[in-house]
Amino acid sequence: MSELIQIGGMNERPKPPRPEDLSLRFSDRAIRELEALETHYPERKACILPALWIAQREYGGYLSGEALAEVAFRLDRSYAEIEGVATFYSMYNTAHPVGRHMIEVCTCLTCQICGAYPIAEYLKEKLGVGFGETTSDGVFTLHEVECLDACDRAPLIQVGDEYYGPVDKAYLDNLLDRLRSEAASSVVKLADEIVQVHLRETERDR
Amino acid sequence: MAETKLLLEHAHDPSYRTLDGYLAKGGYAGLKRALGMDRQAVIDQVKASGLRGRGGAGFPTWIKWNGIEKDKHAPHHFMLCNADEGEPGTFKDKQLMEETPFLVIEGMTIGGYATQADTGYVYIRGEFVDAARAMRKAIDEAYAAGYLGKNILGSGYDFDLHIHMGAGSYECGEESALMSSLMGERGMPRLKFPHAPLPTVAGLWDLPTVINNVETYAVAPFILERGGEWYSTLGASTKNSRGTKVFSVSGHVNKPGNYEIDFGTTLLDLFALAGGVKGTLKACVPGGSSVPMIDADACSKAVIGYEEMAEVGSMVGSGGCIVLNDQVCIVKFIWRTALFYANESCGKCTPCREGTRWLLQILERIVKGNGQPGDKELLLEICSQIDGRSFCGLGDAAAWPVVGAIKAFPQEFDYYIANGRSMVESDLVLVG
Repeated sequence: MSELIQIGGMNERPKPPRPEDLSLRFSDRAIRELEALETHYPERKACILPALWIAQREYGGYLSGEALAEVAFRLDRSYAEIEGVATFYSMYNTAHPVGRHMIEVCTCLTCQICGAYPIAEYLKEKLGVGFGETTSDGVFTLHEVECLDACDRAPLIQVGDEYYGPVDKAYLDNLLDRLRSEAASSVVKLADEIVQVHLRETERDR
Repeated sequence: MAETKLLLEHAHDPSYRTLDGYLAKGGYAGLKRALGMDRQAVIDQVKASGLRGRGGAGFPTWIKWNGIEKDKHAPHHFMLCNADEGEPGTFKDKQLMEETPFLVIEGMTIGGYATQADTGYVYIRGEFVDAARAMRKAIDEAYAAGYLGKNILGSGYDFDLHIHMGAGSYECGEESALMSSLMGERGMPRLKFPHAPLPTVAGLWDLPTVINNVETYAVAPFILERGGEWYSTLGASTKNSRGTKVFSVSGHVNKPGNYEIDFGTTLLDLFALAGGVKGTLKACVPGGSSVPMIDADACSKAVIGYEEMAEVGSMVGSGGCIVLNDQVCIVKFIWRTALFYANESCGKCTPCREGTRWLLQILERIVKGNGQPGDKELLLEICSQIDGRSFCGLGDAAAWPVVGAIKAFPQEFDYYIANGRSMVESDLVLVG
């Protein structure tokens, strides 16, 4: 019936790369963003969360061992510390690679009483996957999430940086069709939007 | 009693989200007055207003502001805005940031001036991208026009304001966990007063820090503009709750949304504002998932106020009012509440980490029809062991709704345990 939302299987964590294998993939833009962020805080350690958002964008939506190692390297922290922080938060994709779009279904209280579970069942059936799984074509990952705090729009789902609600089956059919035709990853877009809101107008370059 | 619109008066006007539109509606009058006043006089206005924290705990705002050292010795003083709105049923901070971002920014600047803060952070939950974009745009405009940054409005006061995004954690709405998270750590709570100094003494990076909720800051401009005395006349019929409060009404009502009311309004009037109850009212969780639910009878007696809600056995909380009609099985609803807390417990302390899972296991077996005699008492026993013994409020908040539901609807638990099925016959599917 219920499974606690698993943020990362403890036995199947990605392995950190060996130091000699560390390849750095942050773009020049990412490095400039990180430099700007460092001016916001008296301590560089506070950049860990925003740097993880940068990494989630730069690494295509998934914080692999290599991605975490690069954040550790860029901020001069240990891999263990970065992994510890990243796995605490549900929006960092540390457990497994995700599809191009993540469908996050809220089943929390208001959504529960406004029909979220039948919506979730419909999505599972239509996509042929369970919670935490990705469709075989790599387009969709289905997730169950806790309250998104837009309960006036229950039942509600989030995809990338957008909330959709109230949703019903017909609405979802249209939405999934539209998302399927979108080549750009909404997972990456979400991470990028979150990075951008940290930065002042004068610090952004896009 | 009708709706009183103060914070939400211009919420639906898109121009209010721009600096020009905000100024045209009288925006920044509060800050201008504050900058002409002595710092202590600003705090005194907030004291006179009777403003209490709108995040859930209802702590008097002025005490926090007044607790910052008056002669600045520390390298930094911080103004921190808790915009990690995560309480199920609450969506007021989201609307305030999306539609009235300048109220929040002006409020933080006023507070910053009063407490000699040089830097502010708005910690916004990661999912709230729309709210963050609106805040970002407003902060950029405020900087460009001299309402933030160096020498604000020629006063000699400097204040920088940054946005910091969360990444998915309910626990980070707890103020010490929020500070841990902002400093780049797992969002776990820290030791609190009286075992450790208050945030006003040692908060972010062990420096003086004021932390308030979004709505609390949004009120400050009105208090400074019109005076604390004036603000305290709103809600004067209540014992000790002043001003207006934004309630997020959701669930089985015809027009779910945010409604701003004076303290002293009845709960039924709030339901009426939200278009009335869909179906027959059964129960209500008046202040977010953490507060005990009350039945229809208690709803009809409830007056909205911090002390008044306690009289009917619940709390104002964060103002997340979830309305349930008679199609809802309370046992299943509480099972989902327990699942939420088990998911969101940070794992730091044993009573909460283990207790929330035990509550879930027991409720789950009841919902599956395998409840055992004595399960109700066992739930209460576990709750009594969590409440007051967890490291932060999350454990208490996990226990209260279970106790509240058993108190309000004992027969539903008894029936479910004895018969292996819900007392409520309905087509509403509440489990997955």
